[in-house]
Amino acid sequence: MNTPNYTKSAWLTLGLVLAFVAGWELYWRNQHLPIGYNDDESMWASKRRQVYESSPTRPVLIGSSRIKFDLDQGSWARITGEKPIQLSMDGTSPRPVLTDLGNDPNFKGTVIIDVTEMLFFSPDGSFPEKEAIKRVKAYPTWSLSQQASFQINRLLESGLLFLDDRNLALGPLLNLLPLPARPGTWGGPQFPREFFVVDQDRQSIMTPAFVADTALQNKVKGVWLDVGAHSPPNAVTGPALQAILDATKRSVEQIRARGGQVLFLRTPSDGIMRAAENKLYPREQYWDRLLAYTQTPGIYFEDYPALTRFSCPEWSHLTPADAVQFTEDLIPIVARKTGWPLGEPLSALLGQPIPTCR
Amino acid sequence: MVFNSYTFIVFFAIVLGLHNLPLAWRTKKINLLLASYLFYALWNPPFILLLWLSTVVDFYMARLIGGEERPLRRKLLLTVSLVLNLGMLSYFKYGGFLLENFTALLSAMGIAFQAAQPDIILPVGISFYTFVTLSYTLDVYRRKFAPEPSFLNFALFVTFFPHLVAGPIVRPEDLIPQFETPRRATAQQLSWGLFLLSLGLFMKVTVADGLLADTADLIFSLPFPVQTLDAWMGVLAFSSQIFCDFAGYSTCAIGVSLCLGFVLPDNFRYPYAAMGFQDFWRRWHITLSTWLRDYLYIPLGGNRKGPVRTYVNLMVTMLIGGLWHGASWTFVVWGALHGLFLCLERLIRQGLANRQAAIPMADGAVMSRASVVPASLAAPLARFGLVLLTLFLVNITWVFFRAPTFDGAMLLLLSMFGVISNGPPMLTNTALLTVGVVTVGLVGCHWLMRNTSVAEQAKRLPWWVLSAGWAGLSLLVVLSQKSSSSFIYFQF
Repeated sequence: MNTPNYTKSAWLTLGLVLAFVAGWELYWRNQHLPIGYNDDESMWASKRRQVYESSPTRPVLIGSSRIKFDLDQGSWARITGEKPIQLSMDGTSPRPVLTDLGNDPNFKGTVIIDVTEMLFFSPDGSFPEKEAIKRVKAYPTWSLSQQASFQINRLLESGLLFLDDRNLALGPLLNLLPLPARPGTWGGPQFPREFFVVDQDRQSIMTPAFVADTALQNKVKGVWLDVGAHSPPNAVTGPALQAILDATKRSVEQIRARGGQVLFLRTPSDGIMRAAENKLYPREQYWDRLLAYTQTPGIYFEDYPALTRFSCPEWSHLTPADAVQFTEDLIPIVARKTGWPLGEPLSALLGQPIPTCR
Repeated sequence: MVFNSYTFIVFFAIVLGLHNLPLAWRTKKINLLLASYLFYALWNPPFILLLWLSTVVDFYMARLIGGEERPLRRKLLLTVSLVLNLGMLSYFKYGGFLLENFTALLSAMGIAFQAAQPDIILPVGISFYTFVTLSYTLDVYRRKFAPEPSFLNFALFVTFFPHLVAGPIVRPEDLIPQFETPRRATAQQLSWGLFLLSLGLFMKVTVADGLLADTADLIFSLPFPVQTLDAWMGVLAFSSQIFCDFAGYSTCAIGVSLCLGFVLPDNFRYPYAAMGFQDFWRRWHITLSTWLRDYLYIPLGGNRKGPVRTYVNLMVTMLIGGLWHGASWTFVVWGALHGLFLCLERLIRQGLANRQAAIPMADGAVMSRASVVPASLAAPLARFGLVLLTLFLVNITWVFFRAPTFDGAMLLLLSMFGVISNGPPMLTNTALLTVGVVTVGLVGCHWLMRNTSVAEQAKRLPWWVLSAGWAGLSLLVVLSQKSSSSFIYFQF
């Protein structure tokens, strides 16, 4: 039997690990992927903590992925002087977050609710609702230790590409194994890694490679078709819809009763996605009813020529350049619709009528 | 704070640095104690008060018990300690459960009673440190351990951060003597401790969280039946997940402790290679099973009061063991099943032993009644078959352990045994392959390692081979990137 020399082993191990990590990082850098941040529970919790600083110029954004792509926080900050607080979550319903804000007696701020009908109107107990509830429930137990880890993580993520949990962790890499699909099963949406990155404000940004490559865009369109094929064939109606409307109204009224403000927003979608949304969720039965029932203002992109001129390369989200333009065009519309004081340069615009389509 | 977090890396580097400075031993122990409080407080600072209360009361109660000769007064002092410790545990862990069952009982009797929902947060690790402090007071009461004169040593024994929140459940004799003389890890110990930390993190971060958690979570959360294959793979995923999660934590704890120069007891010895449930509990959560044996089963009479009492004692011990894991009837059923299997195994062993005792052997000798493994099970294949049978039954019990409700558990069991066979397939081929590879790998590893240890095997390897394996584990941890998720046993 050998006399073990653990110390020598430890040093060699350290060398091997450092060499591999350096090589791994260099490999991914050579693939020209931009640096991004993991949009995890801690990232969300760090934003949730800021909601008490909310105001019309610093609204809390809740919703799904669209508003994370489409509302450019940098442009919003340039015009209004402050960055919004992004609490939207990809592929989830914003209703649990709305309920959370409604139930929080200290929240008296401004909320913009992004409505992607198939997610907003997903019934209680559905996957999009449960996923959002998980984060909402985890927030009160966000420990000091997790907060410290989050700060360290952020620092590391700002410089190391391979720490991309969504694309380069073991799980996503295993999903690339060339295994045949098991009939009747679906592993969830598998986006190309070039699709987007998330910055430290939770802004989702399509990568330049994705914007330039229609083949990648078509892959994502294929993912949406796949999502559609695995979604319930019918939209929620009847008592389940009424329950959603009741719960939304209750939360909106709770926020307003404390002096807060709420605005619904429908961001652009395109192509087959748009056609399916129109068919499954006719505007009069969902969007119009939501606004009327909750007595809340809303901005529907198709009502404003300035917001209708964008196209979504993969049917659902805007490119970074279009997000800038969309945000610049949206702010005066919001100001006009709500009377919120959204920055000095807008005061002049408020006197002018905003063109609408309806 | 969890071991699999960046915060812990920074914390541990500082603690290790301070521990290796040329400071007085007392100063180093104060550093460790303060670090342990910080480690705990970074979850939820107010709960540190409970830890202090338990520490102070048990320290002084044990001193009073140790200095008292009158049996009645000794009992009274012990009762104070038990009431405080078990009272805190009952309130925080079982308050809601008791109220819920009380309400249900009244309702069953036709009495309308609606209690306000108590908003009780479970302090992390309360079940573990309560058992640690209880073992101290009980040992002092039984004159097995003299009261520790140093409050610092005792506080550090209770609070020492590697074992504080999820074990191993240490006994006074395990740790207190180690605080009496200066300790610092040698380079060899430090390296081996770091290896164990890497191994523990690999088990937790890569295997439990990275490869298995999603599959287990999916299958156990479904409100409808699934195909038989999916049901089994979900249960096998949880079976491996809970082992890698909990044994991973214990391995990290032992490794971290060794880096500081302290030795903690083993908590797992390849339980999925157990032949029978008695063997299983000698290999699974060893410090809990020995705690229950020494402070519950034996005081109840153990096997000294006749066969019936022995079976009753076994069942009571396992039921309480089940309830220790969580305030839910599903945990009680889990404990009951383990108790039942232990009783059945005891019956079978005794039956076999009686039969063999009557059969003269070829050379005229008579096989001992105490023989554990009958001759028919001596062949490796038969032994492996017994391992698989034990594992099969253990997996059945895991269904109750993991399922959120009885309905969920029954649905899954019916799917597993094909009673409901029309459920949809849920797991992708990648998930099936992952769970299959991990399960086979884990059972194979446990079988091969069942009579040895990692340390013994490492001694046989050339240093560079050990290093290659160690680097592989570490790289998989880095690639897994699942930092900061809690260990399953923290909720217990």
